[in-house]
Amino acid sequence: MLFLAIGAVLSFSLGSAHASDDGYSIRVQVRQQQRDEAGKTDNQPIPSVTVFVTGTDGVEIGRLVTDAAGIAIFELPHKGDYTVTIDESTLPDGQKLDAGTSSSQNLLSDSFVTKTKVVNFFTGGSQSVSQSLFERVTQRLVDGVRLGLILAMCSVGLSLIFGTTGLTNFAHGEMVTFGGLAAFVLNISGLSFLGFLSFIPGIRPDGTFHILWAAPIGIVLGGGFGWALNYAIFGRLRKRGVGLVTQMVLTVGLSILLRNFFLSRFEGRTRPYAEFTLQRAMEFGPISITARDLIVSILSLIILVSVALALRFTRLGKATRAVSDNPDLASATGIDSEKVIRLVWILGGALAAAGGIFRGLDEQVSFDMGGRLLFLLFASITLGGLGSAFGALMGGFVVGIMVEVASLVVPTELKATPALLVLILVLLLRPQGILGRAQRVG
Amino acid sequence: MDIKASLSTATSAARLALAGVERTPGVIKQDAILTASGVRREFGGIVAVDVEHVEIQRGSITALIGPNGAGKTTLFNLLTGFDTPNTGSWSFNGRSMEKVASHKTAALGMVRTFQLTKSLTKLSVIENMRLGATDQKGEKWWNGLFGRVWKAQEASITERAEELLNRFTLGHMRDEYAGALSGGQRKLLEMARALMTNPTLVMLDEPMAGVNPALKQSLNEHIRGLRDQGMTVLFVEHDMDMVHDVSDWVIVMAEGRIIAEGTPEDISKNPAVIDAYLGTRQGQSLLEDE
Amino acid sequence: MDWSLIIENSIKGFIGINAVYFAVAAIGLNVQFGFTGLLNFGQAGFMACGAYGLGMTAHYFGISMWWGIPIGIGFSVLLGFLMGIPTLRLRADYLAIVTIASAEIIRLVVRSVKFKTYFGGSDGINGFSDPFRKIGDDIGIVQANQYGFWPLRFTGRELWTLVVGWVVVAIVAYFVYLLMKSPWGRVLKAIREDEDAVRSLGKSVFSYKMQSLILGGAIGTMSGMIFALDRGSVQPDNYSRDVTFYILTALVLGGVAKVSGSIVGPMIFWGIFTFMDNFLRQVAKDPVHLGNFTIMKSTQVGQLNYMLIGLTLILLMVYRPQGVFGNRKEMAFDGH
Repeated sequence: MLFLAIGAVLSFSLGSAHASDDGYSIRVQVRQQQRDEAGKTDNQPIPSVTVFVTGTDGVEIGRLVTDAAGIAIFELPHKGDYTVTIDESTLPDGQKLDAGTSSSQNLLSDSFVTKTKVVNFFTGGSQSVSQSLFERVTQRLVDGVRLGLILAMCSVGLSLIFGTTGLTNFAHGEMVTFGGLAAFVLNISGLSFLGFLSFIPGIRPDGTFHILWAAPIGIVLGGGFGWALNYAIFGRLRKRGVGLVTQMVLTVGLSILLRNFFLSRFEGRTRPYAEFTLQRAMEFGPISITARDLIVSILSLIILVSVALALRFTRLGKATRAVSDNPDLASATGIDSEKVIRLVWILGGALAAAGGIFRGLDEQVSFDMGGRLLFLLFASITLGGLGSAFGALMGGFVVGIMVEVASLVVPTELKATPALLVLILVLLLRPQGILGRAQRVG
Repeated sequence: MDIKASLSTATSAARLALAGVERTPGVIKQDAILTASGVRREFGGIVAVDVEHVEIQRGSITALIGPNGAGKTTLFNLLTGFDTPNTGSWSFNGRSMEKVASHKTAALGMVRTFQLTKSLTKLSVIENMRLGATDQKGEKWWNGLFGRVWKAQEASITERAEELLNRFTLGHMRDEYAGALSGGQRKLLEMARALMTNPTLVMLDEPMAGVNPALKQSLNEHIRGLRDQGMTVLFVEHDMDMVHDVSDWVIVMAEGRIIAEGTPEDISKNPAVIDAYLGTRQGQSLLEDE
Repeated sequence: MDWSLIIENSIKGFIGINAVYFAVAAIGLNVQFGFTGLLNFGQAGFMACGAYGLGMTAHYFGISMWWGIPIGIGFSVLLGFLMGIPTLRLRADYLAIVTIASAEIIRLVVRSVKFKTYFGGSDGINGFSDPFRKIGDDIGIVQANQYGFWPLRFTGRELWTLVVGWVVVAIVAYFVYLLMKSPWGRVLKAIREDEDAVRSLGKSVFSYKMQSLILGGAIGTMSGMIFALDRGSVQPDNYSRDVTFYILTALVLGGVAKVSGSIVGPMIFWGIFTFMDNFLRQVAKDPVHLGNFTIMKSTQVGQLNYMLIGLTLILLMVYRPQGVFGNRKEMAFDGH
């Protein structure tokens, strides 16, 4: 049953999901990027700017002037490739396009993930007003906390799977991606055979689900995916007594398989979920954060705290930690370690999926969104102590903050490098990690 | 027979040397090859080993016994550098060993075997043996490329290995994978391989575990043979028959501490020892054990 | 369906430059993984050392390309120490984690805008291989000429790197073969199975592991050099994590802990891969449907092929971890 559900989600590619070719539109937004004196973002709409859309044959589809909200909406004859161009001469005096914005932008047919494609043109540079060091640090700290929460969520499962089975799972990144993409399929592509559920608020007749539905369902599916991996592969290998290195190489194969499967079904671009894509930042003193990011962070925190409490106080949670600490002793005291391991895979899969969905809300989804996090996840669990759930929470948090704060000093493209440095330093100085149990070091 | 005669001579020599030694835990011996003081190892708050003082008499066979969990193997691991104690100092042949890496202890003449045999099953028996030899020229990679640098040494190592294999009745298994040996044969192979390092102190962790009774007798003789060649033997064992048969001196551990020392005869009468065993073995008398 | 083209390309895949540079990298990986049991998941990082060693000579140092060989090897020795010192005393997973991370960071650094002066950014480095090409022309394998006959037809440009490449494969393979027959190789194999046993016999396991890591890495470096010379360019994205994984798959396919396996494996890998790629591309010229459902479009052929690689690795691990030609008795990833 669960396999069917997972299969149904996975096999829906974008290409097959579009019910009709009608009603496509392009929404062009022209805005001036500004920061006020305190350095807060304050983007202003620019009205009365001419924009036009041309088809692949170069024929103009339409030409409009932006309204007071800086918006122009083009109805399209059909889904297809278009070019959106802004007439720069119609911009207000003294304003020109931001260096990162080209005056004409190409849209490929495939990029219509929803019926409306948003195209932004920004003027002015965001760097024009410089922020104080204090503000930059606080902002990075906030971003770091957001990333840290996601890393913590994703790495708990990785660490617990290691703790209970000894396996380092190189396909864990793909479990993260799975969550992000499963929610995406529900949210954007839709499962048309579920259209009859449209009497429920948040489920639309074309079988697409509001993200508030898609996210929890995606998390459940992620748990199912973890369960399925254990049931179909790793549980059987353990029963056969297959060694850990063999299993680890197998996870490498699994990672290749899944990543390319995702790529073939979802293609290489990053895409947003349907809801909460455009958000206006709220200001709290020096910190600016969108409502979406704030809610995601609070939700992550709630999830993490509940997981921590469950591990600490429930019977299964205690059993999990017992198996992690000493599998032999745990099974000698009558704990069913297979049951615990199954639970850990389900929990790990669900948490990884949650991390993937939250990351997707944060940064959009793509086929290798999890794979790119893998190395940060490893840094997190090594820092926290391989096998320790609380260590993973703490490690993820620290690595997330460190990576974001590091981008104050190192170029953004290299902001992951400090994580390697930490990894190496931890292994040199305290290889068992912050919370790990001491291991014999030969 | 000559061998028997020499056996008994060495036995009496070792026993003679220990005869006057006081029967108290941590007693000073007249010619100690290994001494340890204040060695303490905790695992997460549980004290596994807490040895105030212990000495091992040179040229003797010393048995280290005690109930399960007494810390015998942990003590072995600590003394051979396979584990690090929280505190403590120990020396071998007068040389302080606290900072010596595990692989260097073997080079200094202190070699050990393991409770769970570590015969390398994917290597042949003879390759297992060759591996034991120290100071091999061919073990440097730049020499490894040139057979003429190491072939001669390899031949002499092989000769010595074959000799030992024959002595340990493994000669006919020379070219088999070690994985094809029985549990008892693996114990023998591991002991023979340890001897390839030309040790002065041989530390055996449960040499009799899993060995069938027929082999046990010859294993006993091998161990006596080591002492008669001038080596010192320290072994951990549960098999009390063997302890009685071969050891010159017995050290008893319980709950990480050394609780008694003496000849095998003394130990079997020692009330502290019987208590220690009774405490964990539910009424089985030490004397009746196996 | 153009079978003549498919056959020609498959045979070229079987013995072509991809098989060559994979074979060299796999021989190095085999020293580490197959013989010593070290999980080096960052072979791509070592390969990048070689490629950038060559590329940086003219681009940054302004010296002859040939200096790139010692420079690249020097890089890889440094990298080996960097990866090995923190990890080789710990359990095997840590090496895997650190190598995968280091290789990824190397790729990020060399493609960064920040260090473009040194490494050429995401465009990489071009136009350093003329001295190498010139030798080919001089000895009569002229770049522009065609050589051979169906199904073995090569341009002089391809042929020259192929000849050099296979010579390097032969030399490196013989080198490793000799080492593995020596007492040194015996120690490595013993470490793979049980490092405590080796330690108890008085050998510094750490030192041997380090030697193995660096030697295997230096061989991987040569692989990177061959690839860079063939392309005449160095591109950061040719040294991604996946490259290591594909090399690992090719190695396991051929059989670990056998020198021959690390040559045969990559040949089979690229033979089959090229065949599938050519075959499927011809099948998928028009999208393949099953009812309303699109099974395969031409743009998905590459991904399907890579999925097959992943699946192959999974199936090998489940059913035949010693590889197609490996010997179960001699080989053990898992010591005990």
